[in-house]
Amino acid sequence: MSKEDFKFTFLSKDLVSTLEVPVPIPLKQPLNDFIGQLVTAHNLPCFIENELKEKLDAFVWKHTQQTYEKNVQKKIDEIKKADQASVDSLVDKWSKAFTQEVKTYAKVEAETQEEKFSKVYHALIHSPALDTLLNLEHTYSLTVEDLLRQRDADLGHLQQRQREEMDEAVKTYSNDEVNELAQNHFEQMQMIESKWTKELTNLKDTQKQEFREWVIKVHEDTQSQSKPYIGRMRNISTTLPEADDGERSEATVTMEESFTIHLGAQMKTTHNLRLLCTDILDLCRHKTHTVGGMVIPQPQRLQTAMSLYSNNLCGLILLTDNNLSMYTGLKKHFSRVCEQSTDFHFPDLQQQLTSIEQQLPLRDTSKGNKSSRESKDIGLQTGDFYITKHSNLSEVHVVFHLVTDDSIRSSDITSRHPVILSIRNIIKQCFRHDLHTITIPLLLAHHMSEEMTIPWCQRRAELVFKCVKGFMMEMATYESSSSRTIQFLVPLGISYEMFSGISNMLTTIFRVSNAIKVHLAGISTVDISRGFIDTNFVEQSFTYQLQKNEETSADGSTDISMLSSCVS
Amino acid sequence: MTELGKADFGVKTFFAKSHPNDKCGSNGLPLTPNSIKILGRFQGLTTIHHPRLCRYIDISKGRHERLIVVSEYYKDNLLKIGKTGKYGSVEELLTLAYEVLEGLVYLNRKSITHRNLSKSNILFDTKGNVKLSEYGLYHVTEYGANVSFPIGLPEYMPPEVLCDCPIETDEHADTETVVTDPCGPKTDVWSLGVILLEVFTNVDLWEGLSNPQKIYRTVEFLNEGKHPFDFYTEEYSLQDKIKVLPEGVLDFLRNCLTVNSKERPSPECLLQYKIFSEHNANKKPYKNGFRMFTVQLRSKDLELSPYDENGYTEDHLSERSMDEVYYLWRLAGGDLEGVLKSQGLVKTKPPVTLIPNFCTGDGDVFGQKRDRAELLDNTIVVLSQEQLRNRLSEVDEKAYYPLIHTDDDMTEFKRMPKSSSAADLLETASLPLIIREKDVEYQIEVDIPRCHQYHQLLSSPTAHAKFKRVLKAWVYYNPQYVYWQGLDSLCAPFLALNFNDEALAFSCLQAFIPKYLHNFFMKDNSAVIQEYLCVFSHLIAFHDPELSNHLEGIGFIPDLYAIPWFLTMYAHVFPLHKLVHLWDTLLLGNSSFPLCIGVAILTQLKSQLISFGFNECILLFSDMPEINIELCVQDSIRIFCNTPKSAIYRQHARPAKKTIKADSRPNLSYYSRDYNDQPTNDLSMEPKTIEELRAVKCPHISAEDMIELGEFSGPVQSKSPTKRKHNSKPMLLVIDVRVQEEFNKGTIPSSINIPFQSAFCPEGNLNPCPAVTTLNAHPLQVKVVVGGRNKNALNFANELVRLGYKKVCVLHKGIDVLRNTSILTIPPADI
Repeated sequence: MSKEDFKFTFLSKDLVSTLEVPVPIPLKQPLNDFIGQLVTAHNLPCFIENELKEKLDAFVWKHTQQTYEKNVQKKIDEIKKADQASVDSLVDKWSKAFTQEVKTYAKVEAETQEEKFSKVYHALIHSPALDTLLNLEHTYSLTVEDLLRQRDADLGHLQQRQREEMDEAVKTYSNDEVNELAQNHFEQMQMIESKWTKELTNLKDTQKQEFREWVIKVHEDTQSQSKPYIGRMRNISTTLPEADDGERSEATVTMEESFTIHLGAQMKTTHNLRLLCTDILDLCRHKTHTVGGMVIPQPQRLQTAMSLYSNNLCGLILLTDNNLSMYTGLKKHFSRVCEQSTDFHFPDLQQQLTSIEQQLPLRDTSKGNKSSRESKDIGLQTGDFYITKHSNLSEVHVVFHLVTDDSIRSSDITSRHPVILSIRNIIKQCFRHDLHTITIPLLLAHHMSEEMTIPWCQRRAELVFKCVKGFMMEMATYESSSSRTIQFLVPLGISYEMFSGISNMLTTIFRVSNAIKVHLAGISTVDISRGFIDTNFVEQSFTYQLQKNEETSADGSTDISMLSSCVS
Repeated sequence: MTELGKADFGVKTFFAKSHPNDKCGSNGLPLTPNSIKILGRFQGLTTIHHPRLCRYIDISKGRHERLIVVSEYYKDNLLKIGKTGKYGSVEELLTLAYEVLEGLVYLNRKSITHRNLSKSNILFDTKGNVKLSEYGLYHVTEYGANVSFPIGLPEYMPPEVLCDCPIETDEHADTETVVTDPCGPKTDVWSLGVILLEVFTNVDLWEGLSNPQKIYRTVEFLNEGKHPFDFYTEEYSLQDKIKVLPEGVLDFLRNCLTVNSKERPSPECLLQYKIFSEHNANKKPYKNGFRMFTVQLRSKDLELSPYDENGYTEDHLSERSMDEVYYLWRLAGGDLEGVLKSQGLVKTKPPVTLIPNFCTGDGDVFGQKRDRAELLDNTIVVLSQEQLRNRLSEVDEKAYYPLIHTDDDMTEFKRMPKSSSAADLLETASLPLIIREKDVEYQIEVDIPRCHQYHQLLSSPTAHAKFKRVLKAWVYYNPQYVYWQGLDSLCAPFLALNFNDEALAFSCLQAFIPKYLHNFFMKDNSAVIQEYLCVFSHLIAFHDPELSNHLEGIGFIPDLYAIPWFLTMYAHVFPLHKLVHLWDTLLLGNSSFPLCIGVAILTQLKSQLISFGFNECILLFSDMPEINIELCVQDSIRIFCNTPKSAIYRQHARPAKKTIKADSRPNLSYYSRDYNDQPTNDLSMEPKTIEELRAVKCPHISAEDMIELGEFSGPVQSKSPTKRKHNSKPMLLVIDVRVQEEFNKGTIPSSINIPFQSAFCPEGNLNPCPAVTTLNAHPLQVKVVVGGRNKNALNFANELVRLGYKKVCVLHKGIDVLRNTSILTIPPADI
């Protein structure tokens, strides 16, 4: 913004006065305001105001136009000097801007198979057909489980045999021969493993295809028939036998506490917090669920399936290392859980990881030259996270694999630690992509270990609580309408005292709403979300969902009403 | 005001560019979302009224960065009408050109460049007059910087615009996009030239060419020797068609299409062309409405249209202003997002399919898919007024014209105070060039981005600039005061309400502060605040001794929590939508009313406070808990009505205005009148030092109030609304604590005597006696403790509060004050 000197001469009695002021061009404030300032600052007589206004107006106008001209001329000169290539690139940029950003010029995107499937699936799962759909999925998963069992048995058998052979060999053969045998065994094992993997892949591919075809077909049938798809709807309460007492109380006993909190200084937003102590994979794994000896799908499955394509997703933070492969530790267990059944909607875990690996180099091209990072160092770093999507897990759609390292075990990490900052990015992604529930490992660890002393746990819990609170307040500023659920997960094996200590800390850090406080603390507390899995609950939640099969409610009220319905 | 007329409301939606990365602004705070910036800049557009321009009515922010804009809309546009060949006639063409230019000139004077002129957004109202639309897009998006799509159509863009690279969205850039060299008014002239040539010849220039070709050719004009006008005519063999055009019109078109923008005339210049002389001669000066509180003559050019029976319209709604109709539309259940949804315009992909693949520690995101729904869709959806009209069909005609005065109204109107000096108000818009203290400036800078930022409008940069101006103006105009933190919160509601009128927002603030916060903003405001807080604790003790005792017991004194309440009149602790509710009542009350609100808040939280210790109380008020504001308002009114006026007397309240007229009606409004504005006499309240105030737990009552409430001088025309109904119980219970001999010599009628010396047993309870029984039988009456010259009355009152007696107060100056009145009587012997 430049300034131009404005000169104005006026006469009062016989005195000639001259006003000289620099005027910013363009003038960002209304002319009247500016004149008012001049009059006050220079103590100008009121009788000149009109004239001053006229002159100043013309002056500002003239100079503003000149600025425009100058800018334009500069651009034109540039382009006149430019060579053909840069003109071409200019034209290219413009046409790209139009084709990429304006619908009328954009390529008409044909609806992909994926999109069509997702739409159809979402429609069906909110129709009376959902029950059939779930059962079909369930049957498929049983087949996969069956195959997995066979595989495990086969591999176990092989291992057993090899071990025996090896034991034998060590006694009798020479070193070289033992090595050769080991080599043989390894190859044999690999062969068998790959045979099973192939079989499994085949089975899953077949299932996926069959399932998708079936879904599309059923949907077409529904469309063509004038009457809605009611014929195949079963009444679940009539077909299911009574649950045994054993089945009723089968639920995992765990520590859990729920809170409703308010965030914000003046404008309050309401959110739900949940503190729970369980194995993180329990949130992913489907447990075999039987009613009266009959294996039926879990209710969580219903919830997860219905919200898959909605604006109410569930996410989970899984701490991992900087290696994308899934062969060790928790990652291995996680991948086991994933392969437990066919994912009908997304590529399987391995494929997703492969495509992430392919995209990793992008980060360097984007940050390009200015990055201080070594160019060869393109692997994952602490604080990065990659995301996988799943439709076959129990309570989760999206998994954030957050890369950590040993620094996280230290007792004195601060809010500037990359992992903490990464949690902020994850929460940001949650807001951007409508993940309304997110599970965060509160202590940033999945297992208790020896360095996790009581003071350590307290410090860590306090840090994470406070940071998450800050991030939530930051993100909720402009999206105040929707309420979120945050689940803080503490590892199994934590003491009851520690758990209640953390729970007390939560109430001091967050403002707990007075209205609702579902207090469920205590070792003996039954986990509400999973404790009441009996026919009664299944039936009620079914009817509840059927009533509103048009749209899933996007807010948390679903949980509340389901809760109340099962309590009643 | 612009009447609705035959206009429709058109709704358009677009996405602002989202900040992909974690960028921070220069002040270290997270960047304001682009949608919020647009929201703020848009407000100025709503003030644009011109017959050639479509009104902008409203903007709202949807989920994520979606914006929805409502504006005046007509179904006829040049794209449609142009095809009919109507503009093959020279007169029609000139009228079109003239009307478009009129609109452009008006915009240019407001420093707005259209930059988006095309055939589809030159609309026609039902009379066939031009109405430009979409003219604000370039302006509100900070010249395109806040959106990712290009503004305008390639075929109408002048070469100089295309010379510049389009604004690119760099997903990983570290700086915010800023356009430093916006386009000037002359870009629109080129577009107009092309459009006029097209509609006159009814040929679409460059039809069938692809976008890159169009752009390439336009840029080529810069090098080519041939004038674009000649180029077009030759390329499309238009020579025959333009032959009929008079020389002046040809010149006009040729000038519009000048390549060099320096030589291209501006819209203002074009309007002076000779070809428009006839139009200029017939031009009617446009006067539309008036600004509130203006000094300009409102009716100078007013021409009332002659009353015409036939002109009388049955469609009353069309006579109302657009904003009003739009407001009613929303009341009648209008839902913008719903309308867009029904037209398939907000179809978004399921979020699960859009989630990125990975994200670095710096917050860079990869593998995110673009939702096609975020692309610019120029479709405009017309809001149906049918539902509104149905709802209004039963409404009486008169309801449409609420401003027709009856005689009664007129007298009321005359009584309204005239604006003391309108010039003052105009002046308020001006700002000092130099603010006295740098620190103040810094403090304001720091406070504004933290003030009511959940409010979309107030969080926009436009609002921040306005905030700053209003606050600085206040500091400048009140040299006796200093800028205290909290002033920003106080300013927020006024600014939010008068967003487009800073002067008015300032005047509101300027008038509000002396009434409710007299001298609160002095450099040393401790005396004022201390007195305020003391009176506040008295009031708590008066209405809720139990709570008062508890809070005092744990040491949770008002100084620890209530200062921000009073200093901002609760603007710091409540969100705006609740605050307006509260202030609606507060503004009707007098300057002591805020104290009652404070008590109402405590009452609402009583159950918690009673059970809490000191730390929990501090924690509770560190962030005001949810308050039921409706209940709070009701409670504070009740508390106010049940408090004698002298009990909330403050010496530091605003002193009485000099001209107290001998009011014919002594208490015009009991609620809004301040104690200091009442005539005073010997029996009135008098200032007390802070030590005197602190010595007693409960408030004092003036003899005047006591006489009135107790009706000791016969039924008077009561000053208070707490006038008791006929035959109801008395409102007062007077307790005389002097020794019995003095009591017997003369006391206030129907008072009871509990001599202080013998009143309490060693455990601290009252010794039972008939008088105490009477006391206990009157829990709801105001208990006036009357004593002699010593401190017995104060001590007695303190004890009563300690014992949990409600509504205890002490007679100011004791029994002596009544010596000169004829009230004192000898008590009946049997008591």
